[in-house]
Amino acid sequence: MPGRKKGLTIFLLILPFLVFLFSLYIGTTPISPSLLFKTLLSPLVSSWKASLPESVYDIVFAIRLPRLLLALAVGAALSVSGAALQALFKNPLVNEYILGISSGAAFGAALSFVVLGSRVPPQILAFVFAVLAVGLVLLIARRSDSPIVSILLTGVIVSAFFSALLSLVEYFASPYSLQALFFWLMGNLWKAGWTDLAISLPIIGAGVAVLVLMRWRFNVLSMSDEEARSLGVRIRREKLIVLATATLITAAATAVAGIIGWIGLIVPHLVRMIVGVDNRRVLPLSAALGATVLLIADDIARSLASFEVPVGIFTSIIGIPLFIILLRRAAKVWR
Amino acid sequence: MSLLVRDLAFRYRDFELRIPDLALESAGLTAIVGPNGAGKTTFLKCLGGLLPVPRGAVRLDGRDLAALNEPERARLLAFVPQEHSASFNYTVLDFVLMGRTAYLPLFAPPSAEDVRIAEEALVFVGCAAFAARPHFQLSSGERRLILIARALAQRTGVLILDEPTTFLDPRHETEVMEIARKLAVEERKTVLMTLHNLDMAVRYADTMVFMKQGGLVAHGRPGEILTEELLARVYDIPMRLLEFEGRTFILR
Repeated sequence: MPGRKKGLTIFLLILPFLVFLFSLYIGTTPISPSLLFKTLLSPLVSSWKASLPESVYDIVFAIRLPRLLLALAVGAALSVSGAALQALFKNPLVNEYILGISSGAAFGAALSFVVLGSRVPPQILAFVFAVLAVGLVLLIARRSDSPIVSILLTGVIVSAFFSALLSLVEYFASPYSLQALFFWLMGNLWKAGWTDLAISLPIIGAGVAVLVLMRWRFNVLSMSDEEARSLGVRIRREKLIVLATATLITAAATAVAGIIGWIGLIVPHLVRMIVGVDNRRVLPLSAALGATVLLIADDIARSLASFEVPVGIFTSIIGIPLFIILLRRAAKVWR
Repeated sequence: MSLLVRDLAFRYRDFELRIPDLALESAGLTAIVGPNGAGKTTFLKCLGGLLPVPRGAVRLDGRDLAALNEPERARLLAFVPQEHSASFNYTVLDFVLMGRTAYLPLFAPPSAEDVRIAEEALVFVGCAAFAARPHFQLSSGERRLILIARALAQRTGVLILDEPTTFLDPRHETEVMEIARKLAVEERKTVLMTLHNLDMAVRYADTMVFMKQGGLVAHGRPGEILTEELLARVYDIPMRLLEFEGRTFILR
């Protein structure tokens, strides 16, 4: 690996931590760097804790820290599953929602808002229906001569089906639950608390670890199924591992953060343009860059105006033009 | 490594492949020839484990091919496809490294030893200089050599090549055949390939297998079985054999 590439790789790997620290500093309440430093270390140094204003402690530990951790996890999850699915489907234009996860989650959340009201967090049904949608796709696509084409097509069909169900629920929903639902659908991290993290962080952490550990395998999995099998891949088993893991982490991320589009498509793509297509680098760097990008997008979302703008809108508004620019330079990396 | 075929039958829609009995010699090059649609590629894919074979029909050194799982099979037998279309532009070395898959557990990236084996394979096919090049930039002749290198990185006793010389210019065609020959003679591998160029088959193969309509017509040493009558029977057009400077050529 040439020196420049190696330097970039290391830089990209530590970038999320730098941005994480910087993001702790950003927010509507100004907290000076030295105060922030003291607050962060106060659980370790008991004498510091007494001298801190309680509001600062709460802002850092109850609001900013969980939110940033969630941004890290969601960004990494969406990007890594995007990169993994692109290799598995041998198509760089596949995204992490291709298997119907987003529409399944949206329908689940809508159902939760409308039927269960605000007492029950929408995350639970969103997760259940996201997994259900992918399960349905795999079940329908199983009996087919060309599994790859049929999984993608079935994904489109199942997505359309859940979108129709979503419209049906929306039609009967009260204006109040509609508002809550729309805010959720736009994708945002503002409600993030430690309870969200306690459920989604372990799922995402474990799933991202599995996919990153498998990183080299994705080179082989991106060959045709027949070729991969002749090279010694147990194709059905390994495909199932990847699909299940990618689904689980995307569903976990979507359930807590709503639908945050384009990250899973653009981040792996950017990584490939920077360090090449070898998945040994693409998978871990997608996790790092995905976490960084969502952190920055969320920083912008919460500091741009006096009110909160859903981050999902940002990732799409920035992501789509960026993608068009990237697409023009893409031939170097894939076809 | 010996490859034995007995009562191999494979049916796909209205096509039927039937190989009653065939033994491939160790350390030899076998060329399967015959008209389009004779079932050559189907036969190769059955031997390569890409199509299902009945239990006991194919034996590798006495082991039943149908009873092996993918990694076990890929450590005994390598399959070189005719063409390769990839979506991602891996470097040549990364591409050849994929030949090490069968030796690596799910979570293990290739080791320095795996890299060394891949580089050795590249040297063998004469492409060591390409290691860092993106493989989209290769010509089709170079790509064919890289596919062979990837199969060599599998370190198998049996090497199966599907029409390795089709669409190649005479120089690359000769290069591929010389490499196949060297693998059989020097590395003592069992090399099996389908060919359309009969002159090449006669010149390089130890054994020729003539196929037609899913069945075997004849097999044996080219010098012993090759006749104008056999060629006419297999290809349905008249052909002549010509001796020139000690070599046999086929005219049509």
